[in-house]
Amino acid sequence: MQFDFFGNALLALSTLLYGVVFSSVVLNKNRSASVKLMHATTGILAICIIYLSYQFLTDNFQFLYVFENSNTLLPVFYKFSALWSAHEGSFLLMIFMLALCGSINSVIIKNDRDLQFSNAVLSFIAFFYLVFLSLTSNPFQVFPYLPANGVDLNPLLQDPLLIIHPPMLFFGYVFYAVVFSFVISGIFNKFNEGLIQILKVWSGIAWATLSVGILLGSMWAYYELGWGGYWFWDPVENVALLPWLAGTAFTHSLIFHKNKVLMSWMVFLGILAFLLSVMGSFIVRSGIINSVHAFASDPSRGVFLLSLFGLFSLASFAIFFWKSEKLSSAWPKINSKSYLILLNNIILMTILVVVFIGTLYPIFNEIWYGQKISIGPNYYSDLITPLVFLLILVFTYEQFFKQKFNYKYFLIIILLFAAYLVLHLFYEISFGLFAGYLFLGILLMRLGFFVYAKKPIAAHKIAGHLSVVALTTAILFNYEYSQKVDLVLKPNDSIQFMDTEIEFLGIEIVADQNFDSVVGNFQITSNDNVYQLASEKRVYKIGGVITSETGIKSLINRDFLIVLGDRFNDGSWSLRYSIKYGIMLIWLSSISLILSMLYGVVRRYEQ
Amino acid sequence: MKSLKIIFSIILISHFISAEQLYSDLSIQEQQRLEYLSDNIRCPKCSYGNISSSNAPISKDLKKEIAQMIKDGYTDDEIFNLLANRYGDYIILKTTPSNNKLIFILPLMIFLISIFLVTTYTIKKSK
Amino acid sequence: MEWYVGMSSRFAIVGFSFFLLFLVSSFYFFLTTDREVAAIQNQEGKKLELIDDLYDLDGKKIDINTITEGKVLLNVWASWCITCLVEHPFLKEITQDKDVRLIGISYKDLPENAERYLEKNGNPYVFSISDFNGSFSLKLGVTGAPETFLIIDGEIVKHRIGEVNLEVWNEKFKDYF
Repeated sequence: MQFDFFGNALLALSTLLYGVVFSSVVLNKNRSASVKLMHATTGILAICIIYLSYQFLTDNFQFLYVFENSNTLLPVFYKFSALWSAHEGSFLLMIFMLALCGSINSVIIKNDRDLQFSNAVLSFIAFFYLVFLSLTSNPFQVFPYLPANGVDLNPLLQDPLLIIHPPMLFFGYVFYAVVFSFVISGIFNKFNEGLIQILKVWSGIAWATLSVGILLGSMWAYYELGWGGYWFWDPVENVALLPWLAGTAFTHSLIFHKNKVLMSWMVFLGILAFLLSVMGSFIVRSGIINSVHAFASDPSRGVFLLSLFGLFSLASFAIFFWKSEKLSSAWPKINSKSYLILLNNIILMTILVVVFIGTLYPIFNEIWYGQKISIGPNYYSDLITPLVFLLILVFTYEQFFKQKFNYKYFLIIILLFAAYLVLHLFYEISFGLFAGYLFLGILLMRLGFFVYAKKPIAAHKIAGHLSVVALTTAILFNYEYSQKVDLVLKPNDSIQFMDTEIEFLGIEIVADQNFDSVVGNFQITSNDNVYQLASEKRVYKIGGVITSETGIKSLINRDFLIVLGDRFNDGSWSLRYSIKYGIMLIWLSSISLILSMLYGVVRRYEQ
Repeated sequence: MKSLKIIFSIILISHFISAEQLYSDLSIQEQQRLEYLSDNIRCPKCSYGNISSSNAPISKDLKKEIAQMIKDGYTDDEIFNLLANRYGDYIILKTTPSNNKLIFILPLMIFLISIFLVTTYTIKKSK
Repeated sequence: MEWYVGMSSRFAIVGFSFFLLFLVSSFYFFLTTDREVAAIQNQEGKKLELIDDLYDLDGKKIDINTITEGKVLLNVWASWCITCLVEHPFLKEITQDKDVRLIGISYKDLPENAERYLEKNGNPYVFSISDFNGSFSLKLGVTGAPETFLIIDGEIVKHRIGEVNLEVWNEKFKDYF
């Protein structure tokens, strides 16, 4: 195996330049030149990306990476996205994004000291990731000869959702690295008002991006996997959730700056969000945990990424220890907003601990007892559900805290309570849902107050918290009312399940280029509304792999899903029919949560 | 308002099942147990997923076997134990506090201790 | 009081760093040591559970003692299974060269397809138990085909999930024959 000279020269040059930027800041030499070098390196990495994309678009299969992930028959769109479809390219894209953030900072940020420190930290991180890329996952490996055609892009990745899902996650991680770089700058310099504004904007962007990444993954799981679920507590999902939780706590903890309390805690959270994202990339790429995400794993990469995790942890905690006395660690008062935020942070951290233990305990169990075990979804839901309710309780209270507690609110809350009590008694709504509706009502009222008082700046916060309650309620709704059943049905027969009637319209055999498929057509009648859906079973011509394409019909409050099973001798088919409640509400409330955060970021940036 | 729509849809649900089902010789309670058990047992041949969401033949066989065991009067715990004995603990996706005390107690301890310390300290400092 | 808070955060940082050290070294240990921990446990050390009504491919009732007495190699196979076809020549080889009593389990297969497969590829089995619906195999702990069990006096001594070839044979079964 050989290496492409041009590509590797670009990689080596950018590695070198990052080394120069870092040392020039640390040695306090020629700082203005370092900003120019940052831009230059971003340019070089951009050329790197364009160069690799060019190989994809021109089908140059001499490049191993192109050979493995593309094919002459692939549509141009997928040829382009194949760039980040595997390990090497996605790391290259991630490093480029990191460089781009550095350049954006250099243009936007006026405070020179913060900029210099941030650049130094970013170039430190980028330097080691570039070394990692060049040594263990070089995207510019070439064959000594030219293969006639490439293997193919992983068929799973030939899906629009999955094209944007992975880069969104990477970008979220990258943005948390940028947040981290400013936290480090704050440790060395000072957390002044300007820096806090920068941190608020960047952590908002990072949080929103990571949320979009996680949401897209969840949607993909629901629509493509067709198992009827949107979250499986799969290790790889959890690993993306860890920095998200730390980041959520960090974003909230930025308020401590107002009264100069617990700054060291805020710094800790900022470092934690970054380190957890580094740990995430180690866990995912080393294949240390079994998961639905089958990445090609390679122990040498794992050890290298683990060393990076160790190095970054060591460096950041050494700096933190060294400078911790400079950070103000005053304590909040009991009847202050800061104390409530502190409680909120403790709850979020406990949720993080639960996810962390659930994800990593199987590894420790294997080391200690030499036995593989599984941590079931119920472990997470049992522990996290009460914590989420406490969290909602705390932030609902906190959202009222600014205002004096008006007796009018109190009256309305009692009325709401009575209304829900009636619902509870007559329609058997569980406590969880009931509490969800209650908080939803309170926060809606609060939002109404803000709109009425024309204070739109704070309204996005209420809207965000409202979305969290709506999301929680939708999840509970889904959990409580969803139903599934295994049925046996002959074509042209119909069956009653719950309040719906399913009619099996018939079976069609469809031949496609890559597969033959059996399509079952169904009609679902519910309250005089008629919905059609088709469920498929595919047999791929190569390898004979059989896959099921679940038929899904989404309505605002519930979805109908049908999985086509096996054919019996008498011509009947086994079917798995589910009614899933609240899926659309889950998506909508997640989207409104992300939009609230983005709106807040935009408002802040305008100021 | 969204939540109103939700409530209306709840009203429309009537709790009966009248379909011809694959496991129609099980009572409704037994069918719910079957769903619960197959949601909490991992497919032994797949990289991930429980036997109720998996299309692997072994998952369907196991589901049939569990249905038979339910009919034969086995309890949930007995069925879990029997399958864990056969395939190992790895396939059990139900994590109970009794078998895994450490991982249930640890986060709760961390939570309670930190709430306690932080609150008492805050009260002390507020004086 | 100020110094106390300052100190306590330093303690916390050191404590957390030790935790990170523990984490990193555990990961390192996990990543670099060779552990052979199978996710799905095999059936070694268990008693062979048989049901009374077992029939071979011709529909003849099987005398259970022929399986539970002495050294027996049980091989799960099917005509639809590609890996079975791959290991088939090796099975023929060992039954010819060595004193191996090989009994097949025809797994989820129609008897006529199974017979045709044996006619075409040769029959290394003393006889094959017909397990059309897979229920006997399921109780045995079979998760697919092919799988091979070494049974000595009714106890499962070795269990191989997947193909048996020379390498696997030397590692697992050779010492017993």
